[in-house]
Amino acid sequence: MDATVKSHFIPHQPGAPAKSFVLWRPTAKTGLMSWLTTVDHKRIGFLYGAFALFFLLVGGVEALLIRLQLAVPNNTILTAQQYNEMFTMHGTTMIFLAIMPLGAAFFNFVMPLQIGARDVAFPRLNAFSLWTFVAGAIIVNIGWFLPSHNFGPPDGGWFGYAPLTTTQFIPRHSIDFWVMGLQLLGVASIAAALNFIVTIINLRAPGLTMMRVPVFTWMTLVTSFLIILSFPAITIALVELMMDRQFGTNFFEVSNGGMPILWQHLFWVFGHPEVYILILPAMGIISEILPTFSRKPLFGYPIVVFSGACIGFLGFAVWSHHMFTTGMGTVATAAFALATMAIAVPTGVKIFNWIGTIWGGHLQMRTPMMFALGFIWMFMIGGLSGVMHSAAPADAQQQDSYFVIAHFHYVLIGGSLFALLAGIHYWFPLIFGKRINEFWGKLSFWVIFIGFNVTFFPMHFLGLNGMPRRTFTYDGNMGWNTGNLIATIGAFILASGIAIYFITMIYTYFKGENAGRDPWDARTLEWSIPNPPPEYNFAVIPTVHARDAFWYEKHHKDEIARERSAHAKEDEAHGGIHMPFQSVYPLLTSCGILIGAWAVSGMDSNPAPGVHAKLLTALIGGSIMFIGIYLWALEGAEGYHLHLDADGKPVEHDEPASAHH
Amino acid sequence: MTSHAATAQSPIDHHQDPTTSTGIPNKKLLMWAFLASDCMFFGTLISTHLIYRLHPPPGTPVPREVFDVPLTSFSTFILLMSSLMMALAVNAIQKGNLKSMRFSLLTTAVFGAIFLGCQVFEFNNFVFEKHMTITGSILGTTFFTLTGTHGTHVAIGVLWLSLMYVRSFKSAEPQPGDHPWFGNIFHAATLILTILLGMKLALSFIWGFQEHGLSGGTTAAVAGAEWGIIVGLVVCIGLLRWFARPRGAVEFDQHNAIDVETMGLYWHFVDIVWIVIFTAVYLLEYL
Amino acid sequence: MRLITPSTARPQTPLNASWRANLGRWSRAGLALAGLALVTGCDLNFWRMDGHQSTIEVNGPVALDQLHVFYVTCWVTFILFILVGTALAYATLKFRARGGDGMQEPPEQSHGNPLVELSLIGASVLALVIIAVPTLKAIWFTYDVPEAEKANAYHIRADGYQWWWRFEYTDEKIKDVGELVTANELVIPADRPIRIELRGMDVIHSFWVPKLAGKVDMIPNRANFLWLKADKPGYYWGQCAEYCGDSHAVMRFRVIALGPREFNEWLDQQMQPARSVAPIAKDSDLDKLKPQFASFKIPAERNAPGWSEKFDLNPLDAWRAHQFPDKGENAELIAKGRKLFQEKTCVTCHTVRGQEGIGTTAPDLTHVGSRTTIAAGVLENNPDNLARWITHPEEVKPGNHMYLGIGAMKGFVTVDRETGAVTRNITVSDDEAHALVAYLESLK
Repeated sequence: MDATVKSHFIPHQPGAPAKSFVLWRPTAKTGLMSWLTTVDHKRIGFLYGAFALFFLLVGGVEALLIRLQLAVPNNTILTAQQYNEMFTMHGTTMIFLAIMPLGAAFFNFVMPLQIGARDVAFPRLNAFSLWTFVAGAIIVNIGWFLPSHNFGPPDGGWFGYAPLTTTQFIPRHSIDFWVMGLQLLGVASIAAALNFIVTIINLRAPGLTMMRVPVFTWMTLVTSFLIILSFPAITIALVELMMDRQFGTNFFEVSNGGMPILWQHLFWVFGHPEVYILILPAMGIISEILPTFSRKPLFGYPIVVFSGACIGFLGFAVWSHHMFTTGMGTVATAAFALATMAIAVPTGVKIFNWIGTIWGGHLQMRTPMMFALGFIWMFMIGGLSGVMHSAAPADAQQQDSYFVIAHFHYVLIGGSLFALLAGIHYWFPLIFGKRINEFWGKLSFWVIFIGFNVTFFPMHFLGLNGMPRRTFTYDGNMGWNTGNLIATIGAFILASGIAIYFITMIYTYFKGENAGRDPWDARTLEWSIPNPPPEYNFAVIPTVHARDAFWYEKHHKDEIARERSAHAKEDEAHGGIHMPFQSVYPLLTSCGILIGAWAVSGMDSNPAPGVHAKLLTALIGGSIMFIGIYLWALEGAEGYHLHLDADGKPVEHDEPASAHH
Repeated sequence: MTSHAATAQSPIDHHQDPTTSTGIPNKKLLMWAFLASDCMFFGTLISTHLIYRLHPPPGTPVPREVFDVPLTSFSTFILLMSSLMMALAVNAIQKGNLKSMRFSLLTTAVFGAIFLGCQVFEFNNFVFEKHMTITGSILGTTFFTLTGTHGTHVAIGVLWLSLMYVRSFKSAEPQPGDHPWFGNIFHAATLILTILLGMKLALSFIWGFQEHGLSGGTTAAVAGAEWGIIVGLVVCIGLLRWFARPRGAVEFDQHNAIDVETMGLYWHFVDIVWIVIFTAVYLLEYL
Repeated sequence: MRLITPSTARPQTPLNASWRANLGRWSRAGLALAGLALVTGCDLNFWRMDGHQSTIEVNGPVALDQLHVFYVTCWVTFILFILVGTALAYATLKFRARGGDGMQEPPEQSHGNPLVELSLIGASVLALVIIAVPTLKAIWFTYDVPEAEKANAYHIRADGYQWWWRFEYTDEKIKDVGELVTANELVIPADRPIRIELRGMDVIHSFWVPKLAGKVDMIPNRANFLWLKADKPGYYWGQCAEYCGDSHAVMRFRVIALGPREFNEWLDQQMQPARSVAPIAKDSDLDKLKPQFASFKIPAERNAPGWSEKFDLNPLDAWRAHQFPDKGENAELIAKGRKLFQEKTCVTCHTVRGQEGIGTTAPDLTHVGSRTTIAAGVLENNPDNLARWITHPEEVKPGNHMYLGIGAMKGFVTVDRETGAVTRNITVSDDEAHALVAYLESLK
């Protein structure tokens, strides 16, 4: 080897001198250890998806309990506190533990494939994001398993308005779990978003200019920017709340001059971009599915991309429309009302472009396409009722009523979730190499579609009829009985639709027929590789010549084949395919964070005799975290080289990737 | 996952990484994106402070009576100088001058430690002399949280600088059976301990002088009281000299300039944030 | 199909018939569900939106203005939905691929049409302008009492507590006492603008009387206000609209609008100190007393309905009937109740102006008997409900301070946070409840 070549890739082969046990790097490709230490973006994406779907079901059960309690007036299935815990955890779970990570699952799995990369820019940081997300999910949910008089699950609402969430009003640890859990989820989200930003900006295949990047990847980029710029606001708000709860500071302590309205501003400066964090990935997925099944390119690609970025920008300028009833005064209310109306324009543009995309196409009515069309219809209703909210005087009646619940479920279920379910269907053959039965897929779509509308459409009327949100009971004389009963029945129809959907998925995973390559005749690069994708993704990094890169490849086969073989030779000359080593330290670091978070949120601060248990546990957690980071840095971003034989199978012996001076 | 394919003959371009789409190295881009995020963190904290300073309830300490602007100006100046040293360190390693880089890194870390020492002194003064505590008033709450968060950033920076300094001694040719991480950890621990002991000793002297006046007698008294720390400090410095003894080729070279540069970005950012905090929290009260 | 009862069916039915048995069970469940719908009073009219808290059938200029803006948004979005929906439906049906597995020649690979897109953007901006203009006008109108009516405005201060409302009539001063204070039922003059100062005293609440005006939050350390006007005398339902803890759902209140003469009569009565009923002299007679109310029972179940249909038919008349003392008041029982009111430490939190109570951390009870509801608009004010509220407050309003205490004030019980152990501080027997009810109901 050329002695002057220096690389981070250190030789790794059987028989090479083992480094000390501290810097041991696992190499197992199967088994539990391989999953715990994985740095492969596809495995991490899969794990994100698995956790997200689990929490989707948990949040769904919470929703069903809520609907059962409200099925009839003066119901007693749940106590007031249990009901408050249910809606708090339903919101928190669905937003932070189901929809966001489901989006992250696709970012992880699909985005690097769409840009022709072999992994994200920082594979170990990616693993850290995943495990910190898991730690956050554990902390948020741990209260379910602890006695309720002193712990219990959070019951301050997903918005956690101070001063209700200060120790004076909820002294239990439940709110501490919520605060610390969200804090960890924020860390995980920011770390993941930073990674995606660098990946999309820096790891695009040759020729893949920004204006050729698939819309889903574009939306990943915009979402990631929204995450890194909006999460700090809630992080600081949570820090302030935590300081109030743990150390008795005065941020929200009214008697010492604290102003609870500050919490609302900080929360919604995060909270509104968060809405777009939930919906932009969905729009990206829809913008992939519609062209594929219409068999023509996206209508007005630049405008779709630009409107996505525009929504991202404007998303930071409308937070106070969640606060129209807080007495902001006329000018501020008017400004935020107008800004909110303005953000409807780029959103509408997307809908126009989707219709433009299917216009003149040859629509293949497959299940993903059904979900995508369902998305447009439902999102249209949700978007238009959003426009109603932007009219501040009308919103004074709708705010915190069931009308709002109807609105945002149309956006978040009819919007985000429909798109994510469409995405699962669409990319299932790529991820698992199996084809889903069309009949069961379409059946699940129709049951979900009907159940969803039966549940949430009556809520518009309930809201206009004056039913407030977050109420565990209502009296029978208010005219809300029928609407609530219908909504409850609808919720169970929706639940059975979801059940059909997932049973079909699980059945297909085990017994489904093989899908074969590119089953949808798709347009983007992720479909150009075998399914399920090999660990190294691309045997040869593709060169991109047009916007729908794979579509172009399929119509210029000779040119691409010549280019491929030339590039393969170059790759081999550089030493083969670079693969990163697995690592245990992201997991170790997250474990340390989990222990520290438990100490801060779950332990009482009055010192036990002898040792201050809380401080001690926090220090142990902190130390583990620090050691994890230190060894993570020390082991370095090393990797090994793969060589493929003629069939694309890795050759058994890994050669040294580089030599030292 | 970048690989440098530069040969020994060709000059290393520190601003370009041919393996990335933009040519910007991944680490640098990551740091820039992180700093954008960090801007929002500080933005939120500073806004909290600015909003609350407009509505002080009765009984809130008066900022002008609490703050000691000459002292804070001094620490601000020190922090700015540390930025200069940081820039020199980056410059040195880009030219492959390891010795100069180590000196600049250490100086940066020490300047950071001086800043932190000033903050400890200031906090101590505010709490015990001016009776402004974090729980007692809204001003104390926002002030200590904001400056404390910044101080944490500086502390992380000093830690990072120390670890980078230690890393620059990692041997290029580890012998079989060597445990490079072992020496590395001890070296790092010693350096951090030295900095902590130095801070403690300096503060002891300053508090001594403040209470009993600047004289030989006070010096001797403080030195007598803190003899353990002085001995520890001497031992630590000796150990540091020993760790820094010449030991053949090291792994750290111009290719690591990007690591130092990324750290530099962080350090400069923390300094700039301090300028904003100094203006918005301290100087604003004297308008 | 024969419906088999499970007890006889299970042992004999062969395996393939159990499916049919299940079907029977399911259809019965379906019938039960439909029956449930009928029993619970569903007449499938939920889209009429004519409930007590309707935002569609409104009775005041503020709510009406907000409704008009809502209608504008409704029409604009409805037309947009029809237009875009038609295009989408047409495209979906027209361009469906027919026959084959989609392997025929792909359609023309067109990339967009800037002219179409720009004109659509222009059209949507236009649609939004149609909404924006009335929105802006209404923002200013609904914000504060119009200049022309300012002089005529009546001022009230409303404080939100967990989970009740305190109303202070800033314009009405009682000699040596201060402003007139009531709780949970706000009586206002009809056809006169009311400007209400809103304060949250512990956590954030929100003041919402849908038929009169949209909500405005009551936020601690923030001076909010709203204005409203009732077009005609009436009885209006209100509710807290911001999540405020355990019993947020049962933090309700009423607004009663009265004509000028009736309002003044009411004011005169409220300004009086609490009413006393002369007690008899001998203590020994107290034990022989019979309950004042003939059909007296204390239901204790959780979340029991707190209203009667008779009341609902004409609530304003029901309110008027409440202003007069009950027939057959038992002075001795009332005196016993008044004594118990002191002994059970009710007086530390509640005020009964002119009598023993001086507390301010709980609703003012000076004229509690004249209110139509108790426990902050949750229960209709009748002896049964009042006794239930006094003896089982936690079943009516979970987490309330009367039951759990607040700060140094002890409630019925004390709960240890570390262990969850419950210590009983105050017990109210059924007999004691009778006396307390008689006393409180006498406070007209």
